[in-house]
Amino acid sequence: MNILAMLWNNLRGGSRTMLFPERPKVTKGFRGLVRFDPALCTGCAICKMRCTARAIDFKSGKGTFTWSYDPGQCTFCGRCVDGCKSHALSQDAECPPVYVTIGALKTAYTVARKPAPKPASASPAVKPAPGGTA
Amino acid sequence: MNLNLTTALARFLIFPGLLFAVPAAWFLLWVERKAVALMQGRIGPPFMQPFFDFVKLLGKDTPPRVGAAGMLMKLWPLIAVSAAAGAVGLLPVLPSSGGFEGDLILLLALLELPSMCIIAAGFSSRSIFGEIGSAREAVLSVAYNVVFLLAIVSIAASQHTFRLEALAQLPASPLRWLGVLAILVCLPAKLHLNPFSLPNAEQEIYSGPMTEYAGPELAMWELSHGLEWVAATGLVATLAAPHVGLVWLAVLLFLALSFAVVLLLSVVAAATARLAIDTTVRFYWQVTLIFAVLAVSSALFMRLLS
Repeated sequence: MNILAMLWNNLRGGSRTMLFPERPKVTKGFRGLVRFDPALCTGCAICKMRCTARAIDFKSGKGTFTWSYDPGQCTFCGRCVDGCKSHALSQDAECPPVYVTIGALKTAYTVARKPAPKPASASPAVKPAPGGTA
Repeated sequence: MNLNLTTALARFLIFPGLLFAVPAAWFLLWVERKAVALMQGRIGPPFMQPFFDFVKLLGKDTPPRVGAAGMLMKLWPLIAVSAAAGAVGLLPVLPSSGGFEGDLILLLALLELPSMCIIAAGFSSRSIFGEIGSAREAVLSVAYNVVFLLAIVSIAASQHTFRLEALAQLPASPLRWLGVLAILVCLPAKLHLNPFSLPNAEQEIYSGPMTEYAGPELAMWELSHGLEWVAATGLVATLAAPHVGLVWLAVLLFLALSFAVVLLLSVVAAATARLAIDTTVRFYWQVTLIFAVLAVSSALFMRLLS
């Protein structure tokens, strides 16, 4: 009769539903928003290939590439992070924020391509795309 | 006192019929939802939620329905609501409120009609989910009705009357309690509650026969479901309530008992998971048939004694 004891405890303990500003505590290894580190990215675009939800987009330009991410499409599966050989991707260990406008959390980075096999002396020029966090 | 046209209309339209039964149906639906929510550690719906749901559904559009099947789809919820309202109207809540010989049989028929309408509605909607739900409802209703009908008929036969009011006034016997228990076992299946919520198993077949319904038609189904709650819990309350002469006390007792039955069913619903169709049918045919056989044999025995 364990279930009856559980029901009784629930009845006594009141509701565990959280009302809006309160957020649930997350456990270790929780997969939240994907974060991008332009300094580490090599522009291999494996993350785009691995993203089945098509939340990550990757466009090559002349000497640069643009990496963009739409959390609205993301399923937080973590496959992009697992597949990133250069550890440029990571995931927040907290719930994604609540937002009211579509695409409010979209991010885009335009990163200059690193010179291929030469010694990594030149630091990559990093600049967010215009209106990148709109 | 026999039932004449005026009292019949008053009972159907005012008390315990539509005017009383519709708010009571919303109330019982709310009690069930709230009780299950609290037992699951949730907040649950606000008090007026079933009423809001009903009004919201009334304001929505329904998809155009053509042909005979479309006409039938519109018709089934209306038949279900009228049958359930009629069943509530027959309950002898007030002492000496009238009735006629055999009204118990009419009540049973009216209680069964919504379930038949659901079966027919699922098949006429021609949705695969509706058809599965209807098939389940049909199998389920054959299984639990054996117990349900035998329990009620044995109570009636042992007390020599098929008149509800006379039954309600007779002193309670052990046999009647056995019958009430058997009816209680059938109620979760009749009201589509866990563990027998197969016909509208929402995680598997959406809402079963109701899948293709929307707007006012769905509102009518919700209403008929609520009225079934009132009729079914009211039937148990009628059979279980001790006979009292005072009108207000009788009404109060009826309401309190109905409320208790709803709470009991909610606890069962919250504490159990949905069973598969073969387990459910086996349960009703094997376990509860014992109840019914016991009830019939003791009814015959009591008849021979008297």
